Amino acid sequence: MIVELLAVGLVVSACLAIYLDEAVYSIASLACMLILMAVLYAINDAVFVAVFQLAVSAGTLAVLFLAGEMLSEKPEKGKSLRKIFSIALLAVVLSLPSIFLSVAVTPVNVSPGFSFADALWSFRAIDVILQGLVIMTVALGIAIVFYEQKADES
Amino acid sequence: MDYMILSVVLLAVGIYGLLTRRHLVKVLISIEIIAVAASMNFVLLASSLNRPLGEAFLVIAFSTDACVTAIVLALLVIIAKKYGTCDIRKLAEIERSANERQTSVEA
Repeated sequence: MIVELLAVGLVVSACLAIYLDEAVYSIASLACMLILMAVLYAINDAVFVAVFQLAVSAGTLAVLFLAGEMLSEKPEKGKSLRKIFSIALLAVVLSLPSIFLSVAVTPVNVSPGFSFADALWSFRAIDVILQGLVIMTVALGIAIVFYEQKADES
Repeated sequence: MDYMILSVVLLAVGIYGLLTRRHLVKVLISIEIIAVAASMNFVLLASSLNRPLGEAFLVIAFSTDACVTAIVLALLVIIAKKYGTCDIRKLAEIERSANERQTSVEA
């Protein structure tokens, strides 16, 4: 039951994140969606991914809140509550197929013989190290772009 | 409960937002939703089939997703500073008028 409620909550918050005009409410809805997603991961025994999802989404959402507040204008006329409820209702209807229908997937009960930590450090160790390099390069690239922008302005 | 259908529904919502929203922050939110839908499919299938390699792959995909968000936000700030708007249609109009001005100067 709780998984079904989570699915409905996910689709409703995704629809509201797209539909709401004001950026702050939209990002709050996205935050709700990301938290529900982390709970769904935790329920499905992917606890490490859930924790990682929470950590990454906390950073993303903080930056998005700042950017949303800084870059978006306040809409002159807000959307009526009736319209918002109708979109939420539509989202509930959209989430129903995932609850009542199913795509046949052949279950595999073969134990892989290794844990999550093994998978990360034995099979993906180079990727994990390289991703640190990628993140550093991105940070450096963004700093250079802003520096060039500042140099152009002055 | 089928996670694959849920993932497709989230993907559809994200694509709808990508096609219809004009504000660049909303476009970024749509991209986030699409990325979440794809990663959800990966994690939950890997989890249900008892394959931790899929989860390990996802940890790497999350950091790539964060990098994409950082780059898009940096570009967004620069665009907002340069043109004073984040509306895609207004930006297209500005670009078009700048092109017309350039061709008239060249002629």
